[in-house]
This record gives sequence, structure tokens and C-alpha cells, in this order.
Amino acid sequence: MAVSKSVIVFHTLLPEFEYFRPKTLQEALELLDKYQGDAKVMAGGTGLLFFMRLRWMQAKYVIDIKGIKELHTIKYEEGKGLTVGATVTLSELFENEIVKNKYPILWDGIRQLADMHIRNRATLVGNLCFGMPSADTAPALLTLKAKLNVVSVNGTRTIELKDFFKGEGKTALKPNEMVTSVFIPEPPEGAKGRYLKFVRTADDGPIMGIAVLVANPRDPAKRIVRIAFSNVVSTPIIIDEVEELFKQDKPLGELAEEAIKLIKSKVTPKSDVRGSRELREHLMEYGTRYLLKTLIEG
Amino acid sequence: MKYVGKSIPRIDREKVAGDAEYAYDFTLPGMVYAKLVAAPYAHAKILKVKYDEALKVPGVLAVFTGADFPFKVGIYAADRDVLAREKVLYYGHPVAAVVAETLEAAEKAAELIEVEYEPLPPVLDALEAMKPDAPLVHEKLHEYKHAPFIYPKPGTNIATYLKLRKGNIEEGFSKADVVVENTYYEPLISQGYLENWVGIARVKSDGTVEIWSSHQSPFAVRNLLATSLGLPIHKVVVHHMYLGGGFGGKAGLLLEHIPVLFSMKLGGRPVRLELNREENSFYMAQRAGYYFKMKTGATKDGKLVAHWGEYILDAGAYADYTVNIARSVGLKPFGPFEIEHVHVDSYAVYTNKVPTTAFRGFGLMEVLFAAERQMDLLAKKLGMDPVEFRLKNVLVPGKSLTHTQERLREDAGDPAGAIREAARLIEWGKPPEQPKEPWKFRGKGFAAFWKGPVQPSNAAASAIVKLNDDGSVDVLVGTGEMGQGTITALAQIVAEELGIPVEKIRIAPERRTDMVAYTWQTVGSRGLFSDGQALIRALEDLKSQIRKIAAQVFRVFEDQIEIRDGKACVVGEPWECISLAEMALGYMYPNGNAIGGPLIGRGSHVPVRNTIPDPETGKSVPAPFYTFGAGAVEVEVDLISGRVKVLKAVMVLDTPAINPMLVAGQVYGGTVMGINIALIEELKFDENGRLLNPNFTEYKVARAGDIPDEMIFKTLGVGQKDAPYGAKGVGELTMLPWPAAVANAIANAIGVELYELPMKPDKIIEEVKKQRPELLEKVKEALKIKG
Amino acid sequence: MAEKLIPITLKVNGREYKVEVKPNETLLFVLRNKLNIKSVKGSCYRGECGVCTVLLNGKPVKSCLVLAVEADGAEITTLEGLAPFGTLAPIQKAFLEHGAFQCGFCTSGFILTAHWLLTHNPDATEEEIKEAISGLICRCTGYKQIIEAIKAAAKYYKQDKQKQ
Repeated sequence: MAVSKSVIVFHTLLPEFEYFRPKTLQEALELLDKYQGDAKVMAGGTGLLFFMRLRWMQAKYVIDIKGIKELHTIKYEEGKGLTVGATVTLSELFENEIVKNKYPILWDGIRQLADMHIRNRATLVGNLCFGMPSADTAPALLTLKAKLNVVSVNGTRTIELKDFFKGEGKTALKPNEMVTSVFIPEPPEGAKGRYLKFVRTADDGPIMGIAVLVANPRDPAKRIVRIAFSNVVSTPIIIDEVEELFKQDKPLGELAEEAIKLIKSKVTPKSDVRGSRELREHLMEYGTRYLLKTLIEG
Repeated sequence: MKYVGKSIPRIDREKVAGDAEYAYDFTLPGMVYAKLVAAPYAHAKILKVKYDEALKVPGVLAVFTGADFPFKVGIYAADRDVLAREKVLYYGHPVAAVVAETLEAAEKAAELIEVEYEPLPPVLDALEAMKPDAPLVHEKLHEYKHAPFIYPKPGTNIATYLKLRKGNIEEGFSKADVVVENTYYEPLISQGYLENWVGIARVKSDGTVEIWSSHQSPFAVRNLLATSLGLPIHKVVVHHMYLGGGFGGKAGLLLEHIPVLFSMKLGGRPVRLELNREENSFYMAQRAGYYFKMKTGATKDGKLVAHWGEYILDAGAYADYTVNIARSVGLKPFGPFEIEHVHVDSYAVYTNKVPTTAFRGFGLMEVLFAAERQMDLLAKKLGMDPVEFRLKNVLVPGKSLTHTQERLREDAGDPAGAIREAARLIEWGKPPEQPKEPWKFRGKGFAAFWKGPVQPSNAAASAIVKLNDDGSVDVLVGTGEMGQGTITALAQIVAEELGIPVEKIRIAPERRTDMVAYTWQTVGSRGLFSDGQALIRALEDLKSQIRKIAAQVFRVFEDQIEIRDGKACVVGEPWECISLAEMALGYMYPNGNAIGGPLIGRGSHVPVRNTIPDPETGKSVPAPFYTFGAGAVEVEVDLISGRVKVLKAVMVLDTPAINPMLVAGQVYGGTVMGINIALIEELKFDENGRLLNPNFTEYKVARAGDIPDEMIFKTLGVGQKDAPYGAKGVGELTMLPWPAAVANAIANAIGVELYELPMKPDKIIEEVKKQRPELLEKVKEALKIKG
Repeated sequence: MAEKLIPITLKVNGREYKVEVKPNETLLFVLRNKLNIKSVKGSCYRGECGVCTVLLNGKPVKSCLVLAVEADGAEITTLEGLAPFGTLAPIQKAFLEHGAFQCGFCTSGFILTAHWLLTHNPDATEEEIKEAISGLICRCTGYKQIIEAIKAAAKYYKQDKQKQ
């Protein structure tokens, strides 16, 4: 809804833009560099077109990257990790055996993201690139310590996912950069994980979500516990200190209590149309307890 | 019976083929596009509207502002500006409009309109709006035209009020041993139909106005459009097409006047105004919120003796049907129980929020949430089983006096039977099996309900049946088809009465008001009852003409002719027949002589013995029938997520069903909608009155994953004698018990009493913390990690 | 900005259409307004309600969030494409026989989605059916009879699979 000076216009139509469908990455990068902030990259379009009709995002030039073959790849290297190209759809990942078997925590996030129709178009990279706190794949990817491969005409760089989110709708991407793929390292040996999403109805955006990854809980030397959240604050977040905390050689019940305390001290949930701060405080606490218990004992 | 009572497929099969036509699909050659622009203030004086830049956009034909239309329109009260004049009354109030050759041009120009405002303090809460020093939404209320049974109070925000008085309330409470007093609250909600409102209008050179639009009631649109714009009724032609859902939100006049007025100003060019979802949430009326204060008393042996209430509806900026809902809740202020002393005042109150109107249930879902909670709370105080308590007080047809002092007709239905059957189906008295997760709690809840149409005492219907050359039939009725399936049920009645297959009956998808028979409205679950009765009379009329011709041909008395299997036969000699085809256009003897002529049956209906409520007491016979029923649920409350899941939902209706499959569809649809309203639906506003969820992203309607595991329903087949095959309305009834039943079940599951809707996770967790904090401690304990 | 028209080809229900579109036109509006295929409805224009569902290269998508230019060269199936004109495919018949529609505005999206599901998984469980249709809103039916219709139609898809 655009407030134009003193009236609101609820648009039915998309704004005008010029459309490009480059066949090579180089071509895309040159366009991005030429138009800088006036251009937006489109993969599945489910996010971009949604935001553009509402005039929440503006773009004079839309660069559709689905014609770039090299971006449509899923590559897995045993022991190293999984690389998912920018135009790989969530449905493709949902049906991918590697994702399902090796990255169940991510698969759990994908399964709960929007609906099949949307997942048939939407991409994993796109889910991250809008910088929305509600991105359902982000918490899982944060616990997996995913990295984004970013390119521009000036070269390439890698951004840790946890450094990528810069506030609601904001990311570390420069106007002439795009994400070509996300790299997800091999999960720690013996890791289990789940994404618990709290919703108002089926097929809802998250009130909030919790991803918990646990490996070797009973062995303090090899124990890894990571916890990340969607839609609690203005970005998806991982609470780094949790991993350190769980390294201590103490009873797990005690550690879990300390972790809850730590999270509560670090995170002040927001209030919005989906739920109050008080509800999110409760979900954060009880949801985390629940996931820790199920993953550690189960 | 061969057709009635059978689950035959719906006759609107184009809907599965893909060529069913909705107003959304309709276009006219040369059509131009209107776009409304809205104000970003809940309450503000309009100082200046500037639109020179907008006019310069290529393709723009005109920009209109409130000043172009210096009059008000409305349903029961003319409280509505075409476009805001002098001041804007809510955030999103249309303040100007553009008409252009294309929608692109209209949208582009719309952005260039500039308005200067002087913000005024808004009033955003109904209780605040009732206070004497509250800002006034409508300062000139005294100038507004209104129906005689609407009582606006100039100088206040009260759009109307109703007084209900039965017995003596002080005496009633003096007899009461237990009294329960509570305030119930629900915010505004949305009807959530899928087809956004669209209207395409044109004006002809002879002054005829034509409109194709998404509406429920073509004749109401015609009447209100004509009276609002000062047009003769026969010069207004309303085209009804298949409607993509209404649920009350498209009753009466909607925005039809806007494209009509624009077309008038543009030399009759066809003008299309099509809303998108966000616009629909701001420009179309939603459902009122409410505060209901209730005080109810009973004797220690479980007899209800007194009920006092003050019911306040938050009507938003324009009160549309909400003024009549204030009457509805006042006239049926409690469940289907007999109470000797009743004293209720109901009000519809203007606030600076989106306008409000009807929604499936027309106030009764609201009343019954509160009233059926009161029943459970009283039963608890009395230490009595809630079902038993209800059976002790339930209305008895032929004996009881209703809250409006009407003695129920003896064939009014079976309220007690419905309560007993619902209790049996939910296995009342048998506690639910508790799940093994210690953070989940199950409970059962119950609610009884009733409703009749809220309509004028003379709300009429009519029907025309034309017999065609081949014995097929065209049926002309005025009722709208919005999914409820009335036309299929009407076709079944025709099939039954004439003994012809449903395939030989046509009820055209389009209803033109100048070409079909009149009906007052398609609302209030009245369609089948009212149009059905008119249709049966039309069929009687047709059959008497058939009998007359056949009697002449066979040289017998008319009562010696029976009509079956599409033929008129001599009683006792089924081989002596004339087919309906042979006489449809007149019967011809072998020598060429002809008798009869084309056969047309006509029939009418008005409610019988209904009366206008007495303004001091509400005493009246307000409805031609009541459908009675009961609903019961088993729920599971999850104290980690705060969500409530309905595992099992049971609904019993006392009426017979013309088409059980279609009634099942109403029950399942109403159950899922009603439960979702109970649990999650609400229109949310910020502190400036801005609606925050004008879309399906944040206004959550139920999905397939949300439906109860089990939905069971039963009709008891207890008919009312004057209803078509005994069948009373069901459409709205299927919504009514759920908020109360679910709240009662939550109380049963976790011992938390709720008085507000929706019972969303926020609310559940908040109230558990307040009322049963030990439960959360228990959950915490259960989630402790061992070791 | 000059409004540049882009020529595209859409293969809808087996028929090829050549049409010129603006970059910002969605597939939904091109199907409805330029190709006059009106079984595809629109409501939320934000991918929530699913009344604009079409099969795009065989997969259900919401056509309000697809640009027409993106669909250049694609095969599209709408409700009209499921059975020869005047006849009903088994899934359409099942919706009719089970009362799986009321106002009908969402019906095309449900039938197309169900058709896709049963073509790929004729043994779909109730949970899988609910999951497949979870992106679609029906405000009228409460979904129960839709689920029943889909279950009932499964046998036709199983027969088809066996024949293959």
C-alpha cells in the first residue's frame, strides 16, 4: 500500500519495469552493475512480484536469472557439503534425497514453507535474499552455518549467513551483487535437527520458528547444540553463545535451563500482527525446551 | 419421494467445467475502469483535493471527488457518502476516484491525487464511542433519512437501539439463587469470501441503468439503487450472476451506485469498478465487533428466571446492516430457552473504523457465544450438568413464550431433541481420553442454538414456472446463487412435484430483475423457505392448469387427474395419459382444435402472522420459522503452541433436508468457518485506526489442514408444516454454536474461562498464566531433560 | 518508460497462442484478459488463495505470481483442458458427485491441483491430499467433501496408471 503524499492507492497491477532474461551470469552481473539499485534479481518471483505489486519494493529493471543454466545446480560433495544454486526451487530440494537424508533440519524448514504451489516457483536463495525475519529456511541454515556465494562484476565473495541479515528487508548485498548459490557444510557427525514452526492456521507464515540442531548430546567433548529463530526479532537469528554453553560438562537438564535463561536475556521478541511479544516469549521458551528434550532424549 | 430428500448433484455444474460466469468475468465493449483512492486518516477534515496532474495522464477521462455527489446513500439509514465529503470517517475511506480507458492509466493517475487534511481525534472503540464526550463520527445524524424502525440518536454515535422487555427484571433477579455476570468481547471480523466485489454499470439513452455486480440479492440492489439515486424501479436492471461467496457481506446495496453514477457522468459509458483484496477489506463492509454485558440468573433447582443485557455493536463508520443486527441481537438476546424476565438494550455505535454489515448468522453467533457461555457458567455454579441444565429450560413448541413473547407454534421444531442427540453423538458424560503428551489437554463442550430470518414482516418471494414445448421447465426465481445451493433444492422440488427428472429443469444462472420473479433478499437462511413456498404455489398453479386441460380432454373432473412422471393421467387408469409436452403450448385435438395455450404457473409468498416489534418492549412475532439445533466439540489444547485443535465436531439440526449432501456441505463449511472464527479470525487495527490485515496473508481463514478430524452431523427431520417439505433454513445455523462450544470445551480441558474471541494462542497463554499458572509449571516439569 | 511489448508463445490446453505482452503483465491477467480463459480466477494477487492455479509445464503454480513473459514457450493447463468440451474428466465428475464445491470460485484451482496430485500419486493419503491443497482457500465447503471427492477420483487415476 503506497502512501502517495496524502492518498493511499491499493494497486491491482504491477508497476512498469523493463524485463531482462540473461543467458549468462556475466550478462546478468553487467546489468546489475549498470542499473545498480534500480534493478532487482528475480528467480521464482513469488517474493519479488508480491512485494512489487504492493509497492513495498521498487524496480525499474527486473533481471530474471532462470535462463542462466549454471545457477540451476545442486552439487553435493561427501564430507564437504551441499551447494544449492540460486534458481533451484524449494520443490526440487524437497524431493532431493541428499537434502532429505543428510540435511533433515533444512528439509523440515522447506516442508513447512508456504505451500506446494509456491515451492514449485520459489527458491532457497530467494527465501534468504529478501532479508525477511520470517524466512522459514533461515533458522535451519543458520544452525548449519551456511554461507552465501556472492558475485558482482568486481569479483566474488563469501558471506556467512549469520552476517547476511541486516534488519527487516535488509541484507549485506551491495546493489550490484547477487547470490549465486548457498553452500551448506556437511552437518556435524551424528547431528539431528528440527524446525518447529508456530502458526495460526495451516499454510501460514511463522508466528515464529525455532531450529535446533543437536549432535552427540551425551558426550560433552563432541556435543554440539545450536539454536536459531525465525520471526522473533527483525532478522532470523542464531544465538551463538548457546553452542559454547553446551560445551560444558554439566548435566543436560541444567544446561538446557541455562540455555533458556541465556536466550531470554539475549532476545526481546517483537509484537506484531501475528502475535504479541508475550506469546513469542512463551513460544521461544517452551518450544526450545520441547525441541531440546525431543532431540536429546529421542 | 423420488427427488426430494436425495443427495443429487448440484445443478450448477458449469462450476466444475470452468465456464460458470461471475461478475468478475463479465466485460462490456468500450468498458472503462474506475479506481478509488483512500485517505490515510481515521478521522480528518478534508481541506482540499487537487487532481490536475491526475487529469493529465493519457487515458484519464475524469476524476471525481465527494463534491460531485452531494447526497448520501444507505440501506436502513442513508449514512454513507459516495466519496467522502467534508471529512473522512475511517482509515481507507475512499476520498476520490479516477476513471480511465485502462486500469493502468487509472492506477497511475490515482497516485497523483493530492488531498490536504486536518486530522481530528478518532474514536476507535465502541465503549469509548458511547461516552458523552466522545468525538462524533456523524455530526449531522439528525439529517439522515432512515427506515422507521431505526432509531439514531442525534448528538451521539448511536446509529440505532432496540429495547426488549419481558416480565419484570427486578422481580426476576429477586427469585434468582445464582447469578452470573460477564462482559463478552469480539473484534471486527471479515466475511472472507473469495470473489472481491466488482460492478460493471452502464446507462442507456432512455435512462435505463444496468448493473452487473457481485451481490447476493438482485432485487435489494435494484430497490436500494433506485431509492438512493431517485430512479424509477423499472429503469434499474440488476443482473445477478454466479457469486463467488457472500456470507452476508454482499447482502443489500454494495458499491453499485459508484459505477452507475460514474457512467451517468460519462455519457453512459460502461464503467467497471473491480476491487482487489486489499480494497475489498477497506471499501466493503466487514462484520461488527461487540461488547455484550450479560447478567443471568437461575433458581437453585436450575430454572432460568432473569436475563439482563447491554449489547453494544461496533458498527464502524457506516452501519449498513449492522443497525438491523442490533435489532437481531436485541430480539433474540439469548439461546433457545424460556426466561420469564428479560431486559435487554442493544445498540449499534459508530466508530472511525471500516464500515460493517451482515455476516452469516446476523448477530446470533455473537449472542450465542456469550449466552451459551453464561449457560455453562451458571450450570457450574449450580453444580448441574450443562446439558441437563439446558434441557430443563429449553423452549417447548406450542407452549413456551420466546424472548419476544411469541408463543412458539406447535410444529416449530425440536429444540430438546437436537440437544439430546448432539449429547449422544459427542458421548456427553464420558470424559475424553487424555493424550500422552503432558502439555496437551482434552475437553468437551456443548452449545445449543436457534435462529430465524431477521427480515421485514412482509419480506416477500415469488416464482414463475414455464412449461416448454418438450415438457421441460424454466423456473424463474429471484434468489441469488452464492454457493448455498438453493437453486438445486428448488429444482428438486419442481422435479418431485411434476415427476420429471432434474435434467429437464432449467434455472438460469443469470437473474435479471426485469425478467425473473421477485424475492426480497437472499439472506437469513430464508431462500428455500420463502422462495420454495412461492415455487410450490407456482407449481400448484401450473398443475391446476394441467389438470383442467387433461380433465377436459378425458372428460373427467379435475380431481380425477393425477400428475406423475411428466404426464397427466386419469386416476386409476394410468394408461390414459397426456404428456406435459403435448399440452405445454396448448393441447391440440386430432382435428386441429386447440385448447389451453402456453402454460405458466405463478406463486407468491409472504411470511404469515409476523409482526413489527413494539418499540418499547420488542414484543413481536419476528420470524416465520426458527431452526433449532445443538453443537458439541472435543478439543485439544496445546500449552506449548497455545493452539486449540478441534478433534471432533458434532452438529444436530431439527429440520428435514431437501438435499442431504448439500446440507452436509453447509454444515461442514459452517463448522470450519465457525471454529476458525472462534480461534483465530480478527481484523486488527493499530492505535491510529489503520487496519493491519486487509489480506489473506494476515487475516487467516481456515485451510484443509485445520479441519476437525471428525465432523458428524444429523438432521432430525422434524419439519414445519408450511415449509417446503418441512425444510427450514440451515445456511447460517451451521455457524452458531462453535465459539461457545469451543470455549466451554477449553474450560473443561484446562479450567480456564474465556470471555473474548478469538481464542488465539496469545489469549490462551495469557489466560493460563492468569488463571492456571500451575499448568505451565507442570509442562515445564514434563519438558525437563533427564540426565 | 516506453511500454515495450514482448511477443510470446503460450501453449494452453494444447493450443498455441501467440500474444504480445507487457513485462509487468502476470500470466493470470494474460490468460484471462488476452486469451479469454476465464476459469482461472483471481482474488488475493499475492499467492495466498490459489484461485489462479494453473499447471505450468505440468506443475501447479499460482499464476498471479508468474509473469507472462516468464511463461514464454511453456505448456499451460487450465480447467478447460482436462476433458473435451462438454464432457467432464473423472476428477471433475467426482467434485460434482461429492458436492465438493459451493460458490465455485476456488474450484478450478482445487481440481487442477487434485488432478496433478493423483496423476503423480494415485495412492495419496488423506494427509498428502490435505498437504497438496493447503495452499488453496475454500471459504465455503470446509474442505471435507473436496477431500472425499479427491479420494473417490483416485481409482480412475490408478486404472490409468495400470494401463500404462
